[in-house]
Amino acid sequence: MRPAPPSLLAEPPPLLSFQNVSKRYPDGGREIVALDEVSFELHAGAAVGVYGARRSGKSTLLRLAAAIESPDAGVVRFAGRDVTRISSRERARLLRSSVAFLTSAGWLASPGETVLDHVAMSLGSEGLTMREAKRRALLALDAVGVAALGAEEITASLSLRERALVMLARALVREPRLLIVDEPAPMPSLGDRERFCAILRTVTGERGIALLIASEDMATLRGVGALMSISAGELCCSEERGTVVRLRPKRAAASGPS
Amino acid sequence: MGMVQATSTKRWMRGASAPLRGALLGLLLERPGHGGELANRLIARLGETWRIDPNDVYRLLEQLEAEGLASSCEEHRRGNERRTRLVYHPTEQTPSALTCWMETLMPREPVRLGLQAKLAVAREQDLRRLSVALREHERECLALAQLVCPSDGQARSWAALCMDCTRDAVYGMLQAEIDWTTRTRQRIDEYAARTS
Repeated sequence: MRPAPPSLLAEPPPLLSFQNVSKRYPDGGREIVALDEVSFELHAGAAVGVYGARRSGKSTLLRLAAAIESPDAGVVRFAGRDVTRISSRERARLLRSSVAFLTSAGWLASPGETVLDHVAMSLGSEGLTMREAKRRALLALDAVGVAALGAEEITASLSLRERALVMLARALVREPRLLIVDEPAPMPSLGDRERFCAILRTVTGERGIALLIASEDMATLRGVGALMSISAGELCCSEERGTVVRLRPKRAAASGPS
Repeated sequence: MGMVQATSTKRWMRGASAPLRGALLGLLLERPGHGGELANRLIARLGETWRIDPNDVYRLLEQLEAEGLASSCEEHRRGNERRTRLVYHPTEQTPSALTCWMETLMPREPVRLGLQAKLAVAREQDLRRLSVALREHERECLALAQLVCPSDGQARSWAALCMDCTRDAVYGMLQAEIDWTTRTRQRIDEYAARTS
């Protein structure tokens, strides 16, 4: 690898970094190691995909990245700050202002609500007028290509594809710095799913939003800047590529008995 | 890390038949045998899907002998004093050659087949080497998957559709590869934890 060119500017800290992060869950009398000393860095505007089967630890990784949960060991930093050591109130603020979490299980629309209201409502606590919130919501819906659903459509009448796009608009409307996506597209049609992933890549790329996306289907991860796979809580990373994402292996490869 | 990227590889370790030659070394170390018997053991060990031709096995054994990794001697067939056959034995170089093969991951060989062949004849002392080789293979697959162009979900022309389906095939293959690799590594690691 080429040595980095000398720079007078200090390099900004990565947007998100994991340092030897471990997480265990009790399972009856035993313990499940969901994450085993995982380390990686995600820089602002970069896109990283995490491939893993069910129960491989990928959802735990994402929840820790979003500071929804805390690790048992290790440090999770967001924009240089150790999020494991801040108060839950501060953490909630961070989550609201900088991180958006998108999961197919997180559909929380109330019946009878219009699409526009649903997206605008997520700005509820920002101190905006409803008019301004709706204006931003419309922009977000436009960005994901469903502006036409807009004010009239009732959320309950949406197809899975539209629902996913509305959820994406809801995540975008708060202008996060990091978008975390867990199994984005439980859509029956392959074309729909790929179109959704393409929109996801475009809207985050254009806005410089970092993307951390996990799926048990590699096709969903096509086009990310770096790929990692996770199994039994252990992370394996594709090779380093530029400064987009720097990944440290868990430990040096052990040498065998000779 | 250097252990899976040997700088110079021996001739017998290159080419499409390298996995079979390596596996034959492992079988020879377990016990000597004549060509037909080794072919049967190879087929039993690797499975019918490899479509191993016993005639090829004779050729591979000759190649190994030419490299000094096997030696043959004529022995009388049981119950027939007049007819002889070649029985292959390991040489002094065979154990180190096997070890060297275990820890060499060639970039261009059919890597997964190579790993399968290694697993088929691996000794317990090769456990770490296998784990490292599997890890390296997983990393390689991830790096390759990263190079596959994304699809926008709307291949408009026939040519674009065909190209996208090809990429889909590559992606599916890499995913299966990674799945198998992680599963295998996990099982090896669990075994190591149990026995240590």
